[in-house]
Amino acid sequence: MLFKIAWRNIWRSRTRSLVVIGAIIVGVWAEIFLMSFSEGTVKSYINNAIQSEISHIQLHQPDFEKDKEVKYYFNDASAVLQTLQSTPHVKAATVRSLSNAMISSTKGARGVQIKAVDPGPEASVTKLDEKIVDGDYFAEGKHNQIIIGKSLAGKMNIKLRSKIVLTFTNLNGDITAAAFRVVGLYETDNSMVDDAIVYTIRSEFNRLLGAEDIAHEGALFLQDPEYLDTVTSVLKTEFPNLLVQTYKEISPEIELFDSQMQLSTTIFTVILMLALIFGIVNTMLMAVLERIKELGMLMAVGMNKVRVFLMIMLETILLGLVSGPIGLALAYLTVLYFNHNGIDLGYFSEGMRQFGMSRVVFTTVRPSMFAELAFAVVLTALIASIYPSLKAIQLRPVEAIRKI
Amino acid sequence: MKNIITKGITKVYNPDTIPVVALDGIDLQINEGEFTAIVGPSGSGKTTLLNIIGGLDKPTHGSVTISGTDITKMHDNKLIEFRKNHIGFVFQAYNLIPVLTAEENIEFVMLLQNRPEAEREQRTTELLNAVGLGDKRKNRPSQLSGGQQQRVAVARALAPKPDFILADEPTANLDSKSTENLLDIMSRLNHEEGVTFVFSTHDQRVIDRAHRVITLVDGKIATDEEQKPVK
Repeated sequence: MLFKIAWRNIWRSRTRSLVVIGAIIVGVWAEIFLMSFSEGTVKSYINNAIQSEISHIQLHQPDFEKDKEVKYYFNDASAVLQTLQSTPHVKAATVRSLSNAMISSTKGARGVQIKAVDPGPEASVTKLDEKIVDGDYFAEGKHNQIIIGKSLAGKMNIKLRSKIVLTFTNLNGDITAAAFRVVGLYETDNSMVDDAIVYTIRSEFNRLLGAEDIAHEGALFLQDPEYLDTVTSVLKTEFPNLLVQTYKEISPEIELFDSQMQLSTTIFTVILMLALIFGIVNTMLMAVLERIKELGMLMAVGMNKVRVFLMIMLETILLGLVSGPIGLALAYLTVLYFNHNGIDLGYFSEGMRQFGMSRVVFTTVRPSMFAELAFAVVLTALIASIYPSLKAIQLRPVEAIRKI
Repeated sequence: MKNIITKGITKVYNPDTIPVVALDGIDLQINEGEFTAIVGPSGSGKTTLLNIIGGLDKPTHGSVTISGTDITKMHDNKLIEFRKNHIGFVFQAYNLIPVLTAEENIEFVMLLQNRPEAEREQRTTELLNAVGLGDKRKNRPSQLSGGQQQRVAVARALAPKPDFILADEPTANLDSKSTENLLDIMSRLNHEEGVTFVFSTHDQRVIDRAHRVITLVDGKIATDEEQKPVK
């Protein structure tokens, strides 16, 4: 009966209840949508960073980490690559020779990093071949090929198939210059990467450095990030002389970005819940104050304070229980839609690329988010119900009714 | 023995500022089966006396004993429990629960007493028939006339089988026909089932039906007389 009274009481002031229900629905929807957008943005950032730059795990000569000089390389790079490729849970692996260099054109000079790669393995790890927007990926039988970022080419006024000169230090410490022909221009979701990295072929570049089959970096992509710790420990045992690092260690800002996003989402959640609490308290207080006489009568005929308290609390919770599922369902459908179709932030794409994010964000949401939000709504309703319920039981029947 | 005994009840409002003496040493005994009217001019203390007898208000001095239990020393929650089982109220403004139907309003107080469902249903039907509203059981208060609402209120007051029913100006908002109708019902319940009624009233029609008339003037009992009811 208490439930029946509470339920019917909600609909006594239909408009007022519908306003609160609407507010909760919009709040829940906005909260989940924002969470899913943040999550999608974080995922896009992390995926871009992992796919285009860092990969899941990297291996280096330990000293290379401190001082990125060409002399800190490891030998038998092909054998290392083979071992990496055959390690369980590894989807793809590659090895690279790295060097800082000066790129020169008619428009001036600029510092870049040369990543000398094996075309096949590199494509399998970073999908570099799919990022070529002009020209071609590395072709067999051609010498001194180089692929540079499209934005770098624009800034340096370098045309496709033109020759450029790179100046770098070889293993003997001598300054070396070599001419390369631009065979392709690439574009990733990170314009800073596009400006700073050029790709050439490892075997040729190694000869320019003065060595055979060396590499400065091994990089691998896992079948699933959940194997990160397992594979890392396997590789540490396999290559005791190399430094094996996960993407979290290499790029701690990824974790920071993720935690910052989570923190801001949490803050937003708290603000939203507080706003909802005030909205609900206001409504329920009005509901209590306009029913003073009725509540007094209920206490006069024998309804004890616990039951009165529960009745008001139940009314408040029912408001949350009506609106919460609708908000969650709407949010689910919205997230599902944008998960398939993405949100095109083309207008901000240049700014997004500078931060290494895709222009299209695909909303993603952890299933547990729905449970967390449902819990938060009930908790909000519970907290919001306390004050009006207390107000109700503080009434003295004789004052509430004035006359019996 | 079911009775109400008041000893030296005094009620003073605003004792610390401008004291107003609403009741001044009321000694009274109301026994089971009475049909008693408390009358008097406005401000004489009728409502205050009923509030104190019903445990809705506390006297400044004195005690109220109902069927052997001193209710003036009870805490709020105990008093609510006591009222639930021993006292039925009929309010001037009916005060039914607007979201419940006539039968739910009656059943509700029995639910508070945790009575079994079958008993609740049977008693609700009996009471609705007794007040002549067997065909209005599914109507909400807003679908009933004032007289019908007050009859539901009487049925609700009777539902928990209280020792006494206290009614404050129960006919004040009713037309003549509804008043007669209600008084007939209450009178019959008093005669046939021995239900004890205590009214506060200005209404001569109610006074005429009472077996005992207590007149209050300035918070004191001026007269306390038994009479032969008109009908």
